[in-house]
Amino acid sequence: MSDQNPIDPRLEQAGASDESLLAAHEKLLGKKPEDGAHYKMLPLVLLFVFSGLIFYAGTYLNHFAGHYDATIFNENAHPSTGAAPGAKIDPMVLGKKNYDQVCTTCHQATGLGVAGNYPPLAGSEWVNGSEERVIRIVLYGLKGRVTVKGTEFNAAAMPAFGKVAGSGYNWTDERIAAVLTYVRASFGNTSPAISADKVAEIHGKEGDRKEWSQEELLKIP
Amino acid sequence: MINAPSAATTAEVTEIDASARFPLLLLVGSALVWLVLSGALALVNLVQLHTPSFAAVCSVMTYGRVAAMQESAFIYGWAANAGLAVALWVLARLGGSSLRSLNWVLFGTAFWNLALLGGVVGIACGDALAHGWLHLPRYVLPLMLVAYGAIGVAGVLAWTGRRHEMTFAAQWYAVAALFLFPWLFSAAQVILVFVPERGVLQAVIAGWYVQGAWTLWLAPLALAAAYYVVPKVGGRTIASYDFASLGFWTLLFVGAWTGGRHFIGGPVPAWVVTVAGVSCALLLFHYMIVGLNLRGAFSGGGSVVLKFIGFGVVAYVLGGFLDAITAFRGIAVVTQFTFFTEAQHQLAVTGAFSMIMFGAIYFMVPRLTGQAWPSSGLVRAHYFTSLLGTIGLVVSLAIAGWIQGHDLNQASVSFEAIAAHVKVWLLLATAAQALLLLGNLLLLAHLLRAVVSNLASSTPANFRPGSTMEASAS
Repeated sequence: MSDQNPIDPRLEQAGASDESLLAAHEKLLGKKPEDGAHYKMLPLVLLFVFSGLIFYAGTYLNHFAGHYDATIFNENAHPSTGAAPGAKIDPMVLGKKNYDQVCTTCHQATGLGVAGNYPPLAGSEWVNGSEERVIRIVLYGLKGRVTVKGTEFNAAAMPAFGKVAGSGYNWTDERIAAVLTYVRASFGNTSPAISADKVAEIHGKEGDRKEWSQEELLKIP
Repeated sequence: MINAPSAATTAEVTEIDASARFPLLLLVGSALVWLVLSGALALVNLVQLHTPSFAAVCSVMTYGRVAAMQESAFIYGWAANAGLAVALWVLARLGGSSLRSLNWVLFGTAFWNLALLGGVVGIACGDALAHGWLHLPRYVLPLMLVAYGAIGVAGVLAWTGRRHEMTFAAQWYAVAALFLFPWLFSAAQVILVFVPERGVLQAVIAGWYVQGAWTLWLAPLALAAAYYVVPKVGGRTIASYDFASLGFWTLLFVGAWTGGRHFIGGPVPAWVVTVAGVSCALLLFHYMIVGLNLRGAFSGGGSVVLKFIGFGVVAYVLGGFLDAITAFRGIAVVTQFTFFTEAQHQLAVTGAFSMIMFGAIYFMVPRLTGQAWPSSGLVRAHYFTSLLGTIGLVVSLAIAGWIQGHDLNQASVSFEAIAAHVKVWLLLATAAQALLLLGNLLLLAHLLRAVVSNLASSTPANFRPGSTMEASAS
């Protein structure tokens, strides 16, 4: 078979033996630049590119790494302007942030839910009704049938958000209070705020438990 | 048993290939069976995206289970088997002696594939785990780890027992992949499955595993194949070879740090996402060097092997740049959690990994069997179906994802409207997936034909004599 023949895809010939492949590359690495004045652009270009990437990386980390703090979720929280520990946080701001990150997945940005699947929060009697009930729902979750604004939802699957066994979220009582405060004052709702102390009180009273059902909740005032 | 090539065949094919024939062909054959199975499942999944009732007559065929089965069959069936076959072959050839402990490879292959089969059946029965790239039920995971070790031993022995002190880039990537997967896989099993971490940390670990299994396992396997086959077929050394080691170490150091890019916009500490974005940018250095090194794949004349690998290299580098761009929060706000991320996934595993592996398989199998492939038409047909199928799949998913992302950011657009907007692109993606499946069926049939005709005849292939083949500088 001569080299002029078109390449046969049934049997592609090798252009180099394994021995010569290893030897040729070994020679390439061992080679010292001997060609005096003739210098190569590529190493310089790569050096600049790599330095540029590292410079960018350092700057970006410095601005947006949130001090490598496990509690900073907003990359724009600059050390000098970010909330100092112990500073008062507006529950409406904290609540909205958490709502937009998590709750919005099911209950939607409009608070209207999805008909047939996720109950609405806007105008809901559960949201605007008893503090005792709505705190328990967010802390421990709600499973099974639930009726909201006269519509029955067959299989509610609200997960537990509190620092309780089986929760994937482990939110503090303060965060839960903030989200509830936000939800009760948004989407046209005008119910009063819920304090972190109230959430902590219920959390302490109930301890660890499974999701609530509608029947259990209705027994609570 | 398959006939050995006669001694007259020339030095290009040696005892190294002949002794490894059965174990490596078993790996390649299993890989292709899984590839076809995962292709069929992917097709079902894509149809379900626009026609949700399709095939969902029982729980086994519902979207979630099919998706989990498809992903497991692709990653642990096709990618693992094919990648291991090529890595072992490359290590044996460059090591200069026949593979040792081949019985372990056979046992390992058998148990790996049986465990995987058990796992896929387990997923069908509803035992799937809920982590990306880790859907296989917990009861098959330890066995798979052991089976992988049994296969990998041959590669490690070929590396430690190599004839030349000096090593070549293909060997670095192959050995790295062999060692890094057990680390990723065992760590993920312990901290995600058997002693699971809770809360946000669990999701962060799952992201680390998905990204690590790509950047530190599948990508190095593909690169090992490409770094070996490109200079081997082209007959010229790797271009700008001095930088190859920089590219390698950049991948090893930075690769797994990009895991947090899966959580941009998600509820994780800001630094996890920021570090991932920065790592995606640093990894550009690796992609640039790989592009420079493997540019020999684009001057392969009419070589179909190099066409496959050239396409794979382009997809690999392009995928790296897309990762870096979509790691910016301003872009991710549209693309994240949409079909766009699926397009990026397909660009990596189908466009880069599969295409490079196809090229390597077309080059390797004749050397294992000692005979040419039965048909050049089938090779070309597979190339064109893969080319069109991959481009069609990636482009239509990317467009669907972009539309979906824009719509999702407007609370006024309903889910029904979004589904209607992307439907035509999902139909296109379905057609592309069907084309891919057809091409992969052709390859499987071709391999079976090659093995059967090998049993029937013993005419050795006309390999060019080894003595004439000197690698020239590029």
